[in-house]
Parts: sequence; C-alpha cells; structure tokens
Amino acid sequence: MRVDVQGLTVRYGDVTAIDDMSFSLSGNKIYGLLGRNGSGKTSLMSALAGYRRPSGSVQLDGLPVFENAAATRQVCLVRHTADAADKGDKVSHVLAYGAAWRDTWDNDYALELAELFKIGLKTKVGELSLGQRSALGVVIGLASRSPLTMLDESHLGMDTPTRYAFYDALLHDFMENPRTIIISTHLIEELASLLEEVLIIDGGRLVLQEEADVLRSRGTEVTGNASDVDDFTLGLTVLSEKSLGRTKAAMVYGTLDDEQLVRARRLGLELGPIALQDLFVHLTDTVGGKR
Amino acid sequence: MKTFRLLTASLTTFSAMVAGGAFAFVVALTFVVSVFRDVEISAWNVVASQIGPWFLLFMGVYAIHTMLPIAVAHGRTRREFLVAASGFSVVLALVMTAVEWLGFLAEGGIYSLMDWRADEHSTQLTYLLMYLVWIAVGMLCAAAFDRFGAGGTFVLPVALALVVVTRVQVPGSGNLPFIDGIPDVHGPEWHVLLAVSFVAALAGTWAIARDMPIRTRT
Repeated sequence: MRVDVQGLTVRYGDVTAIDDMSFSLSGNKIYGLLGRNGSGKTSLMSALAGYRRPSGSVQLDGLPVFENAAATRQVCLVRHTADAADKGDKVSHVLAYGAAWRDTWDNDYALELAELFKIGLKTKVGELSLGQRSALGVVIGLASRSPLTMLDESHLGMDTPTRYAFYDALLHDFMENPRTIIISTHLIEELASLLEEVLIIDGGRLVLQEEADVLRSRGTEVTGNASDVDDFTLGLTVLSEKSLGRTKAAMVYGTLDDEQLVRARRLGLELGPIALQDLFVHLTDTVGGKR
Repeated sequence: MKTFRLLTASLTTFSAMVAGGAFAFVVALTFVVSVFRDVEISAWNVVASQIGPWFLLFMGVYAIHTMLPIAVAHGRTRREFLVAASGFSVVLALVMTAVEWLGFLAEGGIYSLMDWRADEHSTQLTYLLMYLVWIAVGMLCAAAFDRFGAGGTFVLPVALALVVVTRVQVPGSGNLPFIDGIPDVHGPEWHVLLAVSFVAALAGTWAIARDMPIRTRT
C-alpha cells in the first residue's frame, strides 16, 4: 500500500507534534519509524490511521484516510492494545472483535500467535502483564493482515525471548503476506536487520528517509589498534567509541574517500558498516539546543 | 451492519440478562419485605422507572467511550459506528421496554397471587421514549467528555435538561437530585417533547463524535 503525506501538521493546543511533514512510502516494505521520546511518532501514526483529522493530506493508495471506509478498512494501528480492546474484555472477545470487523482477519493465525505468546484466551485484558498486553497488540496487528499495519512500540514490557519470537513472527508473516508495515521502536539494533527503509523524525519534522542499507553506508565502523584508530579518525566526525584493551572501535559519520580507504588498509584497520542506532543518535542529538 | 450486529448481539443480550437478574432480585426482596410489612408499591416499577434509565445512560456512555475507539481501531469509521449506535439505541430501548413489560406482567401475577397492592405505572410508549432519551444522553455526555476532556462539562446542563423532561409523567420515577419545580407538560405534547429530546441528544452526539480523535489510553 502506498502512503502519501503532504504538509501534515498535528497540534495539541499550543504544542506542535507534527510540523508540516511530507513524505511518501512506496509500500510493501518493513519501515522503521525512529524518533526520540516526544518526537511525534505516535501522532504521525495516528494521523496515518485516521485516528484524528489531519491538517494537511494523508492518502493511502490515493484515497484520503480520515473517515473514508475504503481506506480505513486497509489500516491497522496498534498503540499497545488499548485502542483495540477494553480492559474488561477477555482476550477471546478481543479476537472476536477482529474477526467481526475485519474482512482480512486471519483467526487461525491469531490463535496461533496467542499460543506462541502464551496469552490465555479466557484472561481479561486488564489482567495481562504489560508484556502480554504488548504481545496481544502484536497478535491484533499481524492477524489483521491489513495492507498497512503499524506497530507503535509493540515491544514494550516484552522479555527478550518474547521479543525475538515477535521479530521472527513478523518477518515470517511479512514474507508470506507482503504488505506495508511501519514499526516504531527504541530498540533499533534489535530490529535493524528487519528494516528495509528508515524514517527518522525529530521535533515533529522528518530528519531523513532512506533505505536502511544506504543509511548504514553513511558511516563506517573503524576497528584496530587504539592509537592507529585515533590517528585515522583525527578530523573526522566520530559518533561513538568503544575500547577493549589496546583495541578500539570508532563509529565515523560520512563516506570515506579512496585515499582514506588506502590509508586504513595500510594501518591494518578493519572497516565495517555502522550501527543504525549510532547514526540515529547522531542525527537526533541536540547540541546546545541546536541540531 | 457488522457494527450494528456486534453492538446489538453483545450489549442487548447483556442488558436483558442484567434486567432479568434485577427482576429476580426485586421479587425476592419483595417477599422479604412482605414478612415485615404490607406490600404497597411495585418493586419492578422502581427498577423500570428509576434504575433502568441510569443503566441505559451507562450503556450509552459505554457505547461511545469504549466501543467507538475499538471500532475505529478495527478499521471502521466514526460515521459507520454512529449509524450503528443510533440503531442500537433504538433496539436496546425496545428490548428493555419489552423486558419492562414482561416484568410488570410477571409481577402482576405474583402480586395477585399474594394479594399485594401495586402503585400505578406508566405506558409502554412512555418507558420506550424515556429509555431512548437516557441512552442518547449517555452517548452525548461520553462524546463530549472524550472529545473535550474537562471542557465536556458544558454538556451537563443540556443533558440534565433533556433527562428532566423524562421524569415528569412517569409514576414512581422520583425526582432527580437538586431539581425542583419541573414544569408539568401533559398529553401528547409530552411524548413529542421526549422524541425531540432523543433526536437532539443523538444529533449532539453526532456533531461531537464525528471528528473525535482516538486518544491513547493507559
């Protein structure tokens, strides 16, 4: 599903959560929506899902989304589980809502996922732990099989094995049922391998939109003898450094030219792709209140 | 249609079960009371004309506050939901009126057998209209508070004015707290007034909920 956002602004009183944002997603990819706390991720996803009337234009496959049944049928946004379920409802009722309201709902898959995440069908939503509620959100999101599926911080409260099970399920389901999936997360490195394209927003504005591989090529991890690494990175933008004994790894922002590559080889330095997380921190880091 | 079916199937059944439970409770309570004193009023009328409207107000609140966000989260539009909720309010009021009628029928039989006296109760049309107004007012209040937060209090005087009208001609409905000197309206005008109140509450709900943002809940 193609997503087109033009001049989108979302305000809460005096606070501007999204500020004149424009972008397009070609669709059928897993997109990572990255941003710091309060950067506007949830507001953006809410506008994409038609949860609030947009100021500006939000179109899905060319259709305006707000109060347009043909478009909203194609969207599933899970902000934890709170919107799609009442705390007093049993899990089985929550799944029944999906089955009743969504034409694309796969109930067998929903039951399979509920079992995978060990969510009791007779348990009330309010009795689930935070991690289980998040997992229920994942069940709702994936089983909806919506052409545009958005998962907002769906890992919250999940333990590590559950998160890995979530990532596996997500990738497996995407391979079998390709669609547009947008995930917002703070656990960037855990999800980095799944992301095909990344949007970074900050202060309600789009900082960048890039293919994940292209984004990684924007920087280089330089590893080797500490003094050689220090020599090599002198004058370059170093995002972060890690040292272990005499070995040092430095994350360098920017593309290395041929001369630098030859020099690195001569010094015996190893060059590798940079971590998305380090790039994200650099791109959204505030220095003296300015970016 | 799916939304209407889901609302009607789940909430109407629940409401009828609650009403059935309430009937069993008041019958048992009446027998207990009869041990200590003569029975002179219809216990079911207290439920039908005093507790019933508040329960239906709650159902109206529940429909908008709880079910509307769930419906939107599952890809339905607010307009679709409001159409369904409007239809649901009529069905629920009809069902509750039928339950109320059955309750009076059963209670009448029991009272005859036990030679108890019951006070006067109103007509089915009156109960139906009263229930319609209270459901719609519940929806109106929920829409106002969900959309405007504390600013939703502006709707309370309107809501109060709409429900006060329903108390005028219903025997046993009692007075609302702090409300005195309600103008007495007799005859068919009163039924028209109730119908207008229902439509006004529903129209207010539509106007407020049509653009209502679905906020994150904790």
